[in-house]
Amino acid sequence: MAINSSTRNLEWSYTIAPVAAPSSGLSCGQSSVSTTIYGTPIVDGDIVYVGSYSGQVLALNTVARSQALAFPQTRYGEWEWNCPGTNAGSNAIVADLVMSEEALYVSSSNGRVYSLDKEFGDLNWESDILHKKLWTSPVIQGDTLYVGTFAGHIVTLSVETGALLPWFFESETGFASHPVIYEDTIYVGSFDSKLYAIKIGDSELSWSFPGDKWFWAAPLINEGVVYAGCLDGKVYAIDAETGEKLWEFDAGNPVVSSPVLMDNLLIVADELGSVYVFDLNAELEDKAIVPLKIMSVGAVVRGSLCAQEGLVYIRGQDNWVYVLDINRGGLSWKSPLTIEE
Amino acid sequence: MAEVWYLIIGDPVLNGLIALSSILFHNFGLAIIALTIIVRLALWPLMRRQLESTKAMQSMQPKIQELQKKHGKNQQKLQQEMMKLYKEAGINPMGCLWPMLIQFPIWIALYQAIMKALATTPENLLDLAQHLYSWEVVSQAIPLNSQFLWLDLGQPDHTLILAIIVGGTMWVQQKMTTAPTVDPRQQSTNSMMLLMMPFMFGLFTLMFPSGLPLFWAASNVIGILTQYFFTGGWGYLKFRSPFRPTPVK
Repeated sequence: MAINSSTRNLEWSYTIAPVAAPSSGLSCGQSSVSTTIYGTPIVDGDIVYVGSYSGQVLALNTVARSQALAFPQTRYGEWEWNCPGTNAGSNAIVADLVMSEEALYVSSSNGRVYSLDKEFGDLNWESDILHKKLWTSPVIQGDTLYVGTFAGHIVTLSVETGALLPWFFESETGFASHPVIYEDTIYVGSFDSKLYAIKIGDSELSWSFPGDKWFWAAPLINEGVVYAGCLDGKVYAIDAETGEKLWEFDAGNPVVSSPVLMDNLLIVADELGSVYVFDLNAELEDKAIVPLKIMSVGAVVRGSLCAQEGLVYIRGQDNWVYVLDINRGGLSWKSPLTIEE
Repeated sequence: MAEVWYLIIGDPVLNGLIALSSILFHNFGLAIIALTIIVRLALWPLMRRQLESTKAMQSMQPKIQELQKKHGKNQQKLQQEMMKLYKEAGINPMGCLWPMLIQFPIWIALYQAIMKALATTPENLLDLAQHLYSWEVVSQAIPLNSQFLWLDLGQPDHTLILAIIVGGTMWVQQKMTTAPTVDPRQQSTNSMMLLMMPFMFGLFTLMFPSGLPLFWAASNVIGILTQYFFTGGWGYLKFRSPFRPTPVK
């Protein structure tokens, strides 16, 4: 759905048709796969790229969708790509898509990373199988694609060819969050309830920071400080260089979404919909921070937050998008994400 | 209520299953089979009562056949005589039901644990995080490897192989323990159930993630083996019912 943030009107919507589940062997009938969208769409000019749990990647043109033309309108640059899979869910795209100037990079549950031509959706390359499920997004730095796996590997691929590059990192436990690169270090949450810092090129950890549960959300790094929400209900600020805890805040409920930054304000939502605003310039007392403002959207929040021009856009699990005015400290407006027939 | 359930039964079973997977070469299929065996062993005192009751009922079949010959035309009298016979032998024909009912919470917890542990979607995985103990052996197993033989334990098996195994083993186990009855209507119901249940579970196998049917199959096979060795044979599997409905002339 595209909602105009100024007029708050629905500009257009497009329903991805359910696809028949891929089957193998003596299949006993076909079933359809959920077209749930887990990843955050990418907007590039007039084109919106989106990946679905049913294994489709779609390039939607905002003009064509506004006119509700049949999909895909190739003259508008629209295309659809279907990820290969052996059975239902095996080709699911759960991770965010990643974009470079010319290509899209797609991590699939079938264990491969795909590079697609942005303009036509043609397959540039596919990687070897890296692990059974790739649910976390890769990250690009220079000519290298860094991919975290549930098996506990950070593998590196050539952006140009998809070939495996020599450096990789191996951990005993799998990686739960998307990796984030800051300067020459990768920060990633692990299933052993730790946040890892891995210097690119090294085989040893730089440091690991323990939480009480998984660091599910990708951390945010700014000016040498790692801000990480944890499923133990806490938000931690950690020195990016040393791994030392600078402060923590206990929200009391799991933090599933990554924090966002707005000038010197850090905005964090917990799973039950409470939104905390922290002034990063505020004085600390005994490594604890007091929120500047606390708001609530009254809905379960698991998706990414989006901050823009004093507003934070939050997708609730109740199928509403909530827009909070951070300066005023309250709900600005909200809009349903369901279409009335 | 839900919190108490998970605290006492749900979470221990879930974490035990994941820990077993870690120990058994990160093979979740083996963990399901191993946990099924462990649960069966833990419930052995209850199972034993159930099996003893079944065995005693089997040993009484000759006497029941005699009663059938003697009072075949008078159903009411036959029922009375049979109840008398059971009473004299100290058998409660419904006695084997209680051990089964007591086992139900454990089977439900196992079912929930398998479904939770396989976490086929991100929200399932997120939910799983709230139920895990902070044991190293558990964290090292997450996320679980769902591949076992030809099966992806997180997906339904559409090859029909598992459905046939589940249905077949269930039929054998039921056939071994279903005593013939003197009441033709009851006999007809039993015969229908004997086919319906395996058919239904075979159908469920095509719909549920195959980790669950694997548990059913393992449970059926263990049931068949314990029944075979405890009662010393195939029970009613080879038993031909003498109680045939009288043909209407």
